[in-house]
Amino acid sequence: MNLIRVRKGYNIKIGGQPSEELLSISRPGKVAVVPERIPFIKPRLKVKQGDAVQIGSLLFEDKRRPFLKFLSPGGGTVADIDIGHRRVIKKIVIRLDPDERAVDFGFLSESDLVAISRRDLVAKILEGGLWSLLRALPSRDIAPRDAEPPAIFVALDDLEPFQPDPSVYLQDQEPLFLFGLKVLRKLSSRVEVFARQATAGVLKKLNGHITGQVAGRYPADDPGVLLYAIRRSSTENQTWYIRGQDVLLLAHLLKHGNYPTRRTMVVGGNAAQKTGHVHARLGMPLAAFRPFAADGMNTRWISGGVFQGYPTGPDSYMGLYETAITLIPEGLHREFLSFVRPGFNKPSYSRTFLSWFNSSQLPYDSNFHGGLRACIACGHCAKVCPVDILPQLTFKAVLAEAVEEYLALGLMDCVECGLCSYVCPSKIELSSILTAARREYHQEQSQT
Amino acid sequence: MKPVKNFFDSIRPHFEKGGRFSRLYPFYEAIESIFYGPDHVTRQGPHVRDSLDVKRFMTIVILALIPHLIFGIYNTGYQAHLAAGLPLDFFPVFTLGLWVVMPMVLVTYAVGFFWESLFAVIRKHHISEGLFVTCMLFPLTLPPTTPLWQVAVGISFGVVIGKEIFGGTGRNFLNPALTGRAFIFFAYPAQMSGDKVWTATIYNNNAAVDAVSGATPLAIATLTEAPERIEQVLVDSGYSFSQMFWGLYPGSIGSTSAFLCLVGAFILIILGIASYRIILGGVLGVLMTGWLLNLLAGGSSLAWLTLNPFYHLVMGGLAFGLAYMATDPVSAPDMENAKWIYGFLIGVLTVLIRVFNPAFPEGIMLAILFMNLFAPFLDYFAVKTVCKKRIPNV
Ligand code: SF4
Ligand code: SF4
Repeated sequence: MNLIRVRKGYNIKIGGQPSEELLSISRPGKVAVVPERIPFIKPRLKVKQGDAVQIGSLLFEDKRRPFLKFLSPGGGTVADIDIGHRRVIKKIVIRLDPDERAVDFGFLSESDLVAISRRDLVAKILEGGLWSLLRALPSRDIAPRDAEPPAIFVALDDLEPFQPDPSVYLQDQEPLFLFGLKVLRKLSSRVEVFARQATAGVLKKLNGHITGQVAGRYPADDPGVLLYAIRRSSTENQTWYIRGQDVLLLAHLLKHGNYPTRRTMVVGGNAAQKTGHVHARLGMPLAAFRPFAADGMNTRWISGGVFQGYPTGPDSYMGLYETAITLIPEGLHREFLSFVRPGFNKPSYSRTFLSWFNSSQLPYDSNFHGGLRACIACGHCAKVCPVDILPQLTFKAVLAEAVEEYLALGLMDCVECGLCSYVCPSKIELSSILTAARREYHQEQSQT
Repeated sequence: MKPVKNFFDSIRPHFEKGGRFSRLYPFYEAIESIFYGPDHVTRQGPHVRDSLDVKRFMTIVILALIPHLIFGIYNTGYQAHLAAGLPLDFFPVFTLGLWVVMPMVLVTYAVGFFWESLFAVIRKHHISEGLFVTCMLFPLTLPPTTPLWQVAVGISFGVVIGKEIFGGTGRNFLNPALTGRAFIFFAYPAQMSGDKVWTATIYNNNAAVDAVSGATPLAIATLTEAPERIEQVLVDSGYSFSQMFWGLYPGSIGSTSAFLCLVGAFILIILGIASYRIILGGVLGVLMTGWLLNLLAGGSSLAWLTLNPFYHLVMGGLAFGLAYMATDPVSAPDMENAKWIYGFLIGVLTVLIRVFNPAFPEGIMLAILFMNLFAPFLDYFAVKTVCKKRIPNV
């Protein structure tokens, strides 16, 4: 087993790490899909309000790639289609019947799986609406249907605060996971499974299947970072990846012949009064997590982790790729003479606060802690970037529309981790600027 | 702190969008943010942000410069009393220094802040705290006899030409304080050079500054002719190595003490604000050039050639320039390996200018400005090497 050491990156000292405890949560009355949080698609609706749907009924497809189908995570009636600004479909809400019915896609036994051709397998996954779980580097778009990737990376862990622990979501699911790996091996001759060292030690039943151990700080276990660390030639650039938990969804679809609904999620963050793992449903209403938020506090709800998640609220729903609810305090206060405080409690990547000596958890909130300024060339962003992009030069190249230059600087290797924006004393939205440029570039490429 | 908060809360609406003075918002923001950090929250990932902001970054540099200001005040008074043959008691010496130095500092801040606000309001930018560092550095590099109107002209030139016409902080490639300093050096040579300018004269006391006690160590070194040794001549004039290290000798207001520069550089490096690569590179450049010149000295009549290289480090403004000006991140290169070369060449150039161009004994100023111009080239090559290593993905 290889050990991959990632030298750069950074861990924030935020509290509210979810415990391994499995908390129970009641069955929701509604579920939803949230198309606006699936990148690179333009949804074409296939249902209207009032339609009856089953688990696995088609809700919408991508206009550009109609073979990309997005299915209903629940059985019942389409209760609401929320269309926002510029006709963006924000969410499609399904009111659940007491006894939901599911579309039957036909299952594959182990021997079927051995016998099935790659083409038929691809068709089956597309039909079952889960092709979108496979993503392609470097753009992170949904994997192209017709290509065979140089490799598929499976990322079991995610160091972002906070994401589910593989030892929890894989508990008793190992056979299903191994079935999923077999599926992936049909799609690519090279499948790599990565886990943190600590995780690899716990997941004894997967021994022999984990091909690489990762050591390093956030976002060391991101597939893009791993690819950057181990690739030898540019032929590997189009590697696909899938997250460990999504392997279970894929395996469930093929093994049981119906659309999976279970998601293991975490609730965490320093504004959560209770943390832990939850077996929730895909498309769960976030209102169900209200009891986890501390009372009487202005709280930022994040779908996903602190770095890459979306701002959301208890009236929203879990998106397809999201596996976490992170709650942090909303930082709406003005702090008196903040810039001259010794700051034993103030989290910072720099060494300019006494918190440098404080190894305990520190209070984090959503405040910018400073005004927007021009870049002062401090170099912090370049020091944390896990893929050695020079964000301070790349973002200037992006703003100046110097395409050759920002591509040469490695824009497409950016893993959108957000660390550069986090450390920037000038409060420049580096990662958002780079992410937008990456998406635009990819979209232009894929249209030609 | 309620009253302060209430005060800002009550006047803020006038400066915000739609308010009567909304055009002056950058000015308002600069003042308010001295007291209260902003209440802006993130709207996208990353949802949390580091506690460090530009204000704290720059404040730390200013704090590191405060000992220089205090020592400079004392030294200015001390040299003036010494030259006039007055007693050297602490209190009157310090008061005199205050009287000479503080007006220069205040004029610098007032004029600098005026220009920065003006451009911020026109461009609808924020006022960058880098200005406050510039305004602290600038008077510390001046001779104590500089007339206030020249102080005003110098800082105006530095802020407007050195920075604003390039688009403001972050886009300037010259260090603004040094640009201003260099401007008045060339525009008003009479007030900026010679032996008399380095010591403030006092109380309309007509006792002319005695030429020897008024000359700076650099001037003395330049006048020395081999086979006399500069070290010996300096000692004869009352400047031992240790005295120059501690800094009690005539010179620019705040840049005589190599000791304080050492402490300040150390603090800034520990806190991660100044690049040790630039500073160490500079020190290496000075020592290696000095040592090479020693080897070349032969029978030359240039006393500079035989000077112990360490003397360069403690004489004049070299230490100050290396610690606080060369390390200005905006005008230095971005790339870590380019910083070594940048620092090193600053050291080399400073010594070469001192030794071979006696018209500008203060080589550090020109060396840094010159390397400011070259920083983008150094970066260009460093970035190219980095990009070459990347496996391309397009
Ligand atoms: S550029 Fe920023 S967002 Fe992209 S990988 Fe580097 S640190 Fe992360
Ligand atoms: S962290 Fe921000 S201020 Fe520092 S170099 Fe990067 S972009 Fe510039």
